[in-house]
Amino acid sequence: MKEYQQIQATYIHTPFCVQKCLYCDFASYACRDRQVMERYAEAVCKEIATGGAVKLPINPHATIYFGGGTPSTLPLECIARIVKALKEYKFWQQPAEATIEVNPGTADLDKLKALRTLGFDRISFGVQSLNDSELRTIGRIHSAQEALQAIAWAKEAGFDRISADLIYGLPGQTLASLRQTLEQLVATGIEHLSVYGLIVEEGTPLATLLNEGKLILPDEDVAADMYELVQQFLREQGFERYEISNYAKGEQYSKHNLVYWKYQPYAAFGAAACGFDGSARYTAASDVEAYINAQLSSFIYDTEQLSEAELLGEFMFMGLRKTSGANLQEARERFGVDIMERFAGEMEPFFQKGMLAYDSEAEVLRLTESGMELGNFVFEIFVTV
Amino acid sequence: MDQSKIRNFSIIAHIDHGKSTLADRLIEYTGTLTKREMEEQILDSMDLERERGITIKAQAVRSIYKARNGEEYMLNFIDTPGHVDFTYEVSRALAACEGALLVIDSTQGIEAQTLANVYLALDNDLEIIPVVNKIDLPSADPDHVKREVEDVIGIDASDAVLCSAKTGIGIEDVLEAIVAKVPAPSGDEAKPLKALVFDSKFDAYKGVVLYVRVIDGSIKKGMKIRMMATGAEFDVTEVGYFKPGLVNVDSLEVGQVGFFAASIKNVKDARVGDTVTDANNPAPEPLPGYRKATPMVFCGLYPVENSDYDNLRDALEKLQLNDASLVFEPETSIALGFGFRCGFLGLLHMDVIKERLEREYGLALITTAPNVIYEVFRTNGEVELVDNPAHFPEPTVIDHVEEPFVNATIIVPKDYVGAVMELSQEKRGEYENMTYLDESRVMIHYALPLSEIIYDYFDRLKSTTRGYASLDYELCGYRDSNLVKVDILLNGDQVDALSAIVHRDKAQVRGRQLVEKLRSLIPRQMFEIPVQAAIGNKVIARENVRAMRKDVLAKCYGGDISRKRKLLEKQKEGKKRMKQVGCVELPQEAFMAILKMD
Repeated sequence: MKEYQQIQATYIHTPFCVQKCLYCDFASYACRDRQVMERYAEAVCKEIATGGAVKLPINPHATIYFGGGTPSTLPLECIARIVKALKEYKFWQQPAEATIEVNPGTADLDKLKALRTLGFDRISFGVQSLNDSELRTIGRIHSAQEALQAIAWAKEAGFDRISADLIYGLPGQTLASLRQTLEQLVATGIEHLSVYGLIVEEGTPLATLLNEGKLILPDEDVAADMYELVQQFLREQGFERYEISNYAKGEQYSKHNLVYWKYQPYAAFGAAACGFDGSARYTAASDVEAYINAQLSSFIYDTEQLSEAELLGEFMFMGLRKTSGANLQEARERFGVDIMERFAGEMEPFFQKGMLAYDSEAEVLRLTESGMELGNFVFEIFVTV
Repeated sequence: MDQSKIRNFSIIAHIDHGKSTLADRLIEYTGTLTKREMEEQILDSMDLERERGITIKAQAVRSIYKARNGEEYMLNFIDTPGHVDFTYEVSRALAACEGALLVIDSTQGIEAQTLANVYLALDNDLEIIPVVNKIDLPSADPDHVKREVEDVIGIDASDAVLCSAKTGIGIEDVLEAIVAKVPAPSGDEAKPLKALVFDSKFDAYKGVVLYVRVIDGSIKKGMKIRMMATGAEFDVTEVGYFKPGLVNVDSLEVGQVGFFAASIKNVKDARVGDTVTDANNPAPEPLPGYRKATPMVFCGLYPVENSDYDNLRDALEKLQLNDASLVFEPETSIALGFGFRCGFLGLLHMDVIKERLEREYGLALITTAPNVIYEVFRTNGEVELVDNPAHFPEPTVIDHVEEPFVNATIIVPKDYVGAVMELSQEKRGEYENMTYLDESRVMIHYALPLSEIIYDYFDRLKSTTRGYASLDYELCGYRDSNLVKVDILLNGDQVDALSAIVHRDKAQVRGRQLVEKLRSLIPRQMFEIPVQAAIGNKVIARENVRAMRKDVLAKCYGGDISRKRKLLEKQKEGKKRMKQVGCVELPQEAFMAILKMD
């Protein structure tokens, strides 16, 4: 059986946070009500018991990812219940990569030890910055010191695989403060980093503050300088860029996220969680109460059936995010399209400029380093309007 | 009705001085329409006219008024367009009348546009009846306004009618003044038919409906008529008058105002100012004053989607059915593809046509900056009319160039005289004279290049005088000017649709403004784009649109793919709407950049 015919990953969404960050437009709610969380965990377990929307065989090595929101806000017992359900219904068959996102402000040594005991072998910390004033500006609940402490505890708790998220282009951020953040973070010895340029999403408090002129972003050129600083610094430190925004040492890639970029099927449970079976996406209600109530009766997913053209476009722009590129043989197999032929004219200028490279033997198309910086120009080739 | 009981009149007023309100009040007072009927009628008129508060097409209404002397009179009110673009149409509408109400806001006084139309009316021998409006307002100063009328226009204003169209005060006095002062028509019913066409409109069922004033003879249903300017002949199918809706009758008699239809398919055969006569018994001479409307302002209209070209042509043809002054011919631009070079009476006319194309025909258009028509005298003795800057010949083959000038009349409070003169001087104006209308207001005359008027003269005039200045102008011929063509190059390629004709002394500054403006309008692309302004081979200004350094979706995971795909689709769609010029993607606003410089 082909990899794209099996569930390769399972995602569990926790829509709760201690406090919503100013830039966040994800499905998450500031919530400390233990009762709501318990009811929510129970609903997730019920959904797992139904098998979810994606009706495909599960790869025994399928990865697990607890994301959010902030999964670490859930009481341990709730997490344990969900883990038990995942194992019971074969979504989690060890040994498999199992990641949980943790907000440094919600971590303590005991909790981290408990998570490790539950079977999680990878932690992703939302560090974002190691500059306290930048952290406050974007509404994070933790300090730089707490982030470094959390990483140290994670190691003590037995986590060998630790990742940190960083954001550049923050209001008030400078090249110097970014460099300092990178240096301090790399010094902790973590082997995985996700580094994103700040995106100002409409409707977020951050967007309002910027519109009102109460905050100012670094200009386009400074942001581009920051981006280059990140590339250069992490390369020097021995990190491999394996995806547009992801870096790893010693091939410690996020297997789970690679499933997305390879455009393989994944199951998903929880409010607003989105599963994919290779031709359609299924999304559960994003409102927590609606989600819980839906679980009490029969469950309905918002289904997005993708057209052949949409599938092909997504396969390409997701695949090209990886430095290893998109597998064109698989594109032909799955969608019956010869990419090199169909898009020859539109791709030509990008080959000429050295932004795209093609390995005809392996049938792999990839963005070069310079191509990645302007990836959207290439991605647009493959979407249909 | 006996000719002696007919009164044909129009109303001259500056915008906002109350023309429409007064007209409504007169129609209402005479019982021509009820209030509710009036609202319905008004709803039938063009949206654009109501929104802009201006009259584009002439209108006419027949009312029957029983005067204080007990006699019934037929009052024909002809409403004229109220904008300098339509001066010729106004003059023909006035020529259809024997008198005009000069309506002046008692709180404001005479404005340039009013004055221009009063002179038009005097040229047509109309009896002018001063009407001082808005006397209900606390700041009304009727005596001052009357004095101004006497000083400036030189007509007796001692028995000017005071009224408030809003409250209804003095409406009957206005009607009595019309009856008493406007001369009755004095045509000869026995003579061969002579009728003046003062407007026309296209009706899908009737064909062209001609708005006419019968000067001599009469028009009857079934008769064969001839248009004297074009020689075309038609059989009259319908005759009637306006209430203001069309009311059919058997004939229009001498002195009357009304309409007729004759299965005429094109307004080109029913031009404003033409004389209608009896084909079997023609008048020896047409009425004086006819001329073919000539466009003064030109621009290129291009469909955003190339596939809309045929739709654009169809739409222009349909508008032309109703508007003989609109001209267009196909043209090709390297930058914009296939489109049309269109000629208009003026800027307002251009705006109205553009807006109607977009609104009524759902077309997305790119418009190039408007320009005037130049007379280029080549060194080989040939004279060429250039209505598109892209076709301006090379400097080496040009002996000299002439451009249209206008006589501009500006009325302004005296404190702004300095500012107006400074602006007019900057705009290459030639000072002619200045007169004090009263102790506080001044009338200034300048000869100005029309190109400066359509560029930004009026906007600048309004802003430097805080809106107090009023402007009127009329073409006064062509004059020698030292003009050059400034070309714009993007990434080394000339963009024909961005070329502009400017005075040599200003070429440097305009070139610099243009490239700066374009730099700010052109989005960063994958490579650096030099934006240059050049005269011939000589580059006079340069800016660079710097290359985009980074454009890539920062993050994309499982739950986010649809949204990110839609984002990419939207970006791609946006780029599709831009015009690809060489390898540069140009937003539509860039083509209007030449016009809007600030």
